[in-house]
Amino acid sequence: MSTKKEYAIKVDHVTKKFKIYYDKANTLKEQLVFWKSKSKVEERTVLDNINLEIKKGETVALVGTNGSGKSTLLKLMTKIIYPTKGKIITVGKLTSLLELGAGFHDDFTGRENIYFNASIFGLTKSEIDDKVDDIIAFSELGEFIDNPVRTYSSGMYMRLAFSVAINVNAEILLIDEILAVGDQHFQDKCFEKLEKLKHSDKTIVIVSHSLDSIRKLCDRAIWIKDGHIKMDGEANLVIDKYLEECK
Amino acid sequence: MQLAKNLYNYRELLKSNVKKEIRGKYKGSFLGVLWSFVNPLLQVAVYAIVFPYIMRVQTDNYLIYLIIGIIPWTFFTTVINQGMITVRMNAGIIKKVYFPREILPISVALSGLVNFLISCIIILLFCIFGGVGLSWHLIFLPIIAIIQFILTLGIVFALSAINIYIKDTEYLIAFVINMLFYATPILYEATLFPEKIRWILYLNPMTQLIDAYRNIFLYHQVPDLNGFIYLVLVAVILFFLGLFIFRKLEKGFAEEV
Repeated sequence: MSTKKEYAIKVDHVTKKFKIYYDKANTLKEQLVFWKSKSKVEERTVLDNINLEIKKGETVALVGTNGSGKSTLLKLMTKIIYPTKGKIITVGKLTSLLELGAGFHDDFTGRENIYFNASIFGLTKSEIDDKVDDIIAFSELGEFIDNPVRTYSSGMYMRLAFSVAINVNAEILLIDEILAVGDQHFQDKCFEKLEKLKHSDKTIVIVSHSLDSIRKLCDRAIWIKDGHIKMDGEANLVIDKYLEECK
Repeated sequence: MQLAKNLYNYRELLKSNVKKEIRGKYKGSFLGVLWSFVNPLLQVAVYAIVFPYIMRVQTDNYLIYLIIGIIPWTFFTTVINQGMITVRMNAGIIKKVYFPREILPISVALSGLVNFLISCIIILLFCIFGGVGLSWHLIFLPIIAIIQFILTLGIVFALSAINIYIKDTEYLIAFVINMLFYATPILYEATLFPEKIRWILYLNPMTQLIDAYRNIFLYHQVPDLNGFIYLVLVAVILFFLGLFIFRKLEKGFAEEV
């Protein structure tokens, strides 16, 4: 009976192709004039027939060299972009930290941005009211929270963004290369928080190049190479193999 | 169904977006939000001077006649103009976060509706002090306003999505709206046209809408039933057609924008 609910993310025969325009025809005239010169468009297959199942409660890392397609896979999971072929099913509320501070308004104060950012993640006012103190405490911004965000240093900005995203209580958390947030103290804190989330029943997918933290945090790693899954298994095992090839 | 569920789940985002639309537009100006009411009034002032004196229009209560035409028209055009570019303007968050994309055009249309309902106070004031008075027919106002909202939203759904793929849409529509202004009896009366060709004017849903507004504000009449049925039909068809186009195109927003 529970077979249906076992997975949190299911990637089913997914292929993603991007159209590379060398000179994109944006206006009607250009489209009419250049409609025959198809040579300007090139299709690039970024992900080729990926099959993947991530179980509920797993902490999974995606590793691979630059341009291997791991970030694209993560974007597909968040439904920012859609697969060319195949489909992706996610079960439960999903939060993504692809880029910190997406949707922040520079003129709004930190507190207002917490409300705005959390509402993008689909929270209601009362839910945010309950969490706002936790978020502020976690960000350690103190009295700066009521200053406009444009006066923040980049570190403070990141801390606020990370605090919002990690406190929205999603069942699935997708993180892209942002473990290096803030100073050492804050990094440790983020790491601790992720460890804690890991031991609750949250599903976490991380794209990262800091392999040491992956070893500590993840039970499973998926190595993506040129749009294919090269290896999928226990984190240390996969990372060892990956490092071997990188040499 | 999906639409209703999304809107319910993301109601906080919708709310703050509507607020942003209403406040953000005139941000930094001295009069702020007041501009959305001053603007149509200034427009009315121009026409009220030009038409009776230069063009010799002889409509009773011409000033009120004008206002009841201009204010719904402003509702229509501001929503179209702002809605058309809303997806493009929000490219930043579209590329980075998932949220139901339809929130964007809906926020624009909702902020337009709120603005319009507040602007209706101006119409009411003119009716009271202009000697026309008020009547129970005003109970039709919310219904007509909602029909206009649905109709405009449908158009905005389609245009905001198409505009991502073909940027010309923006310029083309600006022209079409300009034309439509003269194809709608806002400045003149429909009876100006011989009865044989007048029906063409009434194919334009904006004609029907403004007619309905004038009936309830100015003539103290129940809106014309046939026109009303036609309006509801057009609004519903445009809404679902627009939503369909939006759904077809929204998957490519993050890549194309």
